[in-house]
Amino acid sequence: MTTTPEIALAPSKGRHSLALAAGLVLVGLHVGIAILTLFWLPYDPAAMAGGRLEAPSWLHWVGTDRLGRDLFTQLMIGSRIALLVGTGAVAIGAVIGVTLGLLAAFASKWLDDALAATLDILIAFPTLLIAMLVVAASDTASLGSAIIALGVALSAIVARLTRILAKRVLVMDYITAARTSGTSWWGIVVLHVLPNIWPTLSVNFALQFGLAVIAEASLSYLGLGAPPPNASWGRLLQEAQGTVYTAPIGALAPGLALLSLVIGVNLTADGLRDTIDPTRRR
Amino acid sequence: MQPKSLAFTAALLAGVALAPISLAQDYNPDATIRIGSLYEPQNLDNTAGAGQGINEAFNGNVYEGLFLLTDEGSVEPVLVEDYTVSEDGLTYTFTLREGVTFHSGDPLTAEDVKYSIERVMAEDSQSSRKSSLSTITGVEAPDERTVVVTLSERSISLPYNLSYVWIVNDAASDITASEDGTGPYTLEEWRRGSALALARFDDYWGEAPTNGEVIFQYFTDATALNNALLTNAVDVITSVQSPDTLAQFANNPAFTVTEGASTTKELLAYNDRVAPFDNVQVRKALARAVDKERLLNSIWGEYGTLIGSFVPPTDPWYEDLTGVDPYDPESARELLAEAGYPDGFTFTLDTPDYDPHPLVAQFLQTAFAEVGVTVNINIITANEWYTKIYQEHNFEATLQEHVNHRDIVFYGNPDFYWGYDNPEVIQLIDESEAASSEEEQVEKLRQANRIIAEEAASNWLYLYPQIVVSAANVTGYPVNGLNSQFFAYDIQKSN
Amino acid sequence: MVSFRCRRYHDRDHSRGTRTILAYTIRRTAILIVSLLIAATVLFVLLRLLPGDPANALVGVGATQEQIAAARAQVGSDQPLQVQFVTFLGNIARLDLGTSFVSRAPVLAEIGNRMSVTLPLTLFGFLLALIIAVPLGIIAAVRSERWYGAAISVVSQLGIAIPVFWVGILLVWVFAISLRWLPSGGFPLRGWSDWREAAIGMVLPAVTIGVVMGASLLRYVRAATLDVLGNDFLRTARALGSSFPEALLRHGVRNGAVPVVSILGIELASTFLGAVVIERVFSLPGLGSMLLLAIQQRDYPNVQGVLFVSTLLVLVIGFVADLLQRFIDPRLRSRGSVAP
Repeated sequence: MTTTPEIALAPSKGRHSLALAAGLVLVGLHVGIAILTLFWLPYDPAAMAGGRLEAPSWLHWVGTDRLGRDLFTQLMIGSRIALLVGTGAVAIGAVIGVTLGLLAAFASKWLDDALAATLDILIAFPTLLIAMLVVAASDTASLGSAIIALGVALSAIVARLTRILAKRVLVMDYITAARTSGTSWWGIVVLHVLPNIWPTLSVNFALQFGLAVIAEASLSYLGLGAPPPNASWGRLLQEAQGTVYTAPIGALAPGLALLSLVIGVNLTADGLRDTIDPTRRR
Repeated sequence: MQPKSLAFTAALLAGVALAPISLAQDYNPDATIRIGSLYEPQNLDNTAGAGQGINEAFNGNVYEGLFLLTDEGSVEPVLVEDYTVSEDGLTYTFTLREGVTFHSGDPLTAEDVKYSIERVMAEDSQSSRKSSLSTITGVEAPDERTVVVTLSERSISLPYNLSYVWIVNDAASDITASEDGTGPYTLEEWRRGSALALARFDDYWGEAPTNGEVIFQYFTDATALNNALLTNAVDVITSVQSPDTLAQFANNPAFTVTEGASTTKELLAYNDRVAPFDNVQVRKALARAVDKERLLNSIWGEYGTLIGSFVPPTDPWYEDLTGVDPYDPESARELLAEAGYPDGFTFTLDTPDYDPHPLVAQFLQTAFAEVGVTVNINIITANEWYTKIYQEHNFEATLQEHVNHRDIVFYGNPDFYWGYDNPEVIQLIDESEAASSEEEQVEKLRQANRIIAEEAASNWLYLYPQIVVSAANVTGYPVNGLNSQFFAYDIQKSN
Repeated sequence: MVSFRCRRYHDRDHSRGTRTILAYTIRRTAILIVSLLIAATVLFVLLRLLPGDPANALVGVGATQEQIAAARAQVGSDQPLQVQFVTFLGNIARLDLGTSFVSRAPVLAEIGNRMSVTLPLTLFGFLLALIIAVPLGIIAAVRSERWYGAAISVVSQLGIAIPVFWVGILLVWVFAISLRWLPSGGFPLRGWSDWREAAIGMVLPAVTIGVVMGASLLRYVRAATLDVLGNDFLRTARALGSSFPEALLRHGVRNGAVPVVSILGIELASTFLGAVVIERVFSLPGLGSMLLLAIQQRDYPNVQGVLFVSTLLVLVIGFVADLLQRFIDPRLRSRGSVAP
């Protein structure tokens, strides 16, 4: 072997930009569709325009479902729901997580240790489980309860990450300098801590977006996800299971849609990460 | 019970003709029959909230009653050898069969029967049949072979109702995790979440089963259930959930698909106590707003039957009432206007979260929107349905599937969750029970049913098909599955 | 993103406080017990937050006032909260997890039965994931310029984007239904006494877990390897004459392993209950489906029991992972902390 590790470590810019570009295209496609659904849809989602489980045709590009409703319309709406779920869950996770993480970073040793231990436990509990409990607690399944559930489940990881990053920043010299010159703790947080931890956190958020969308699909598979009419791709997948022999496209299409969005987001996140810190070959 | 209507006879004959014929010498008498089901019992005591799964696994197999509701719908004496009824119809004297022993070895005595009946009627009993035994005022066991049951009123359905009562050894204290019955099988093992095994009871008083062991394999997912049959992990599945999976089995020589007579009705139940559902015209309008044929086709494709009332074709008092409020949205809108709702109204539909209810709810939402009625779909769990709707009656309308046999009597009970309260119907139903002949009972219930249908007390959407699929080498299983029973003792498996 | 599990961040030298492994173990055990208590408390509070009195789940249709009161006495919900809490703690200490409301069976016994399915499934899946992730992850890192290194990376992207039940359904369709090589699901009635059948039944579910978890672990291994490859000591080792694979193995693994062990701990713990989706696809009577059913039926003793046992498992695994890290990396031992 003549190639040294160093060269192996520096992948060509070309490959990286390709991945990032692909990711952005995929995400852009879904965002575009989601926005489009606010103004136009090929069919009224509730309209039972076609026959039962029709095959794809010019009238119905992906065919129809059992009630004769156009599947392509439902897929498009699914984009909107997926983006909602992803953004909502990540946002909730961020708000709860960053707050807790910052609290832990500033806290006294014992409180910090206790919080750290609790967070570790919560992190080990699978997102799905926490989501199940929250959905059960909210009595009726709805899109909102699913999003909140996922947000709560994701917050533990965000909190832990925030805590580690914030602590790292807090021991820096310029913080001590800022304190001596009279900046309040609140000022420290806003002016120094947050801007420093934000890049790494945002990469994390991007990755959690994909996780949230997949977790919602799993929740729907278990019957705990968003109920109709907010049919998510996960729910479409679950409903399609029974008809997969007579109408396989009904299961394939939502699955591909899900895959394309999540891969797109993950590629973008990876690209983001490399942009933020190209020296870290991760 | 003699079948009365032509339709019933036709269905019965169809079921028999389509049912696989078993050849006497071709099967393995010690075979293990593996039955796939979605209905695992919660525990083993049918008065402790075990669910329909326990009827499926235990009725007729592990426990027997004084009478048996056969798969064809007739009531036959089993542990009763003979019985007499007093002139006024208030005293029944049963003579028990001799030579019957429980699985533990104890002989069957009248004390056991007394204990068993009282168990179902006990205050803390969660049996769904408790109210049907409410006319019983006393059970006595004057000697070992005689049981005397006294009633407060005539009850022509007493033998039928007694077929639901398990005869349990009075020495058995807790049967939630064990059993002591008289049936042809004993409980061998139960692994929760997985399977329940029954083994042949060699000291059974009657004819020995045509197999050696029966295993009920439980699944939570319909697709997994179908896959199990497809890959030969089970021999027969007790009921198919969707028509699309049937495509894999229907034209496949390795499998037999049998369509029996179903008693499972899908209905949109209104809370008849609450406006606007207390108004007959509103209910009739809503009945006319639904294209039931299209709905049935969406859910079940070519299978299933349309019904115009709560009574399925297999009940002796069946009548085809599908013409009472046929699909006619124009007429629906007129009726609504007449009733005082020219602009329609809005209501919340509490929908159970499992298939097919959410789909049916969405269909109804679109259908009712056409006549100006807005539906808010509220998805709830089975548990919640039970508490909120069944117990608390806190709802406007709901969807549900009712599997019970001969359940028209629910409309004679104003405290039932849908709260239908028509004194004439109540009287007719009470009178039917006190009838002195079956003909009289049938006539009275027919009359009652006609009124219920004319008043559109609920919206009876369709009758599920009853489809059993098995491997081609397995025969002798029940095809109608009345009351969720699945008798395993005649099942034969060759090679 | 690779990060270390650390307890303290102040950059002071704590070598005096936790110099030996023994002292650390003792301290860590104390933390374990305290965490357990916190978890028990959280559990207690959580369950009381679910709507409805737990006693309602115990009685049936049309229960009378006396019956409801009797049920509440049985469940203990008629006592003041403090008394309930103390009883709760006492029961847990004696490992008395009560009896199910619905099945009337002792909770601990049922959990034991379910564990005999979930534990092997998780371990097999985990092992498979390691077998997939470690070699492939290292190759992907070291050979990221070659087509196969990049291809592995791409495939791992796919692996973390597919919902796990889809992978399961796909595998069933290919291996069970089309090829008939393996059963489509189920676990033998007699459990591991039918060990051949049980093991065969575990194959597809374990592979499903292995593939999905493997894809995710692969990325961590790759990242850790890349990190290690950039380190000076590797260059030094090579300069001193070791070949690349030798250097990687001897020095790289030790360094790279620490963050990976930490992640492994979390992933392993997550899979115990996360396997509920796999259990549904393959009809396995595991812990996850017990919990799901119990939640739906408001069967509090079961919910409580499963959550408690899983928390215990999670904490123990975390404990072991922590000790393992300290063992692998001597720097962690003496300093007691490493700035991430």
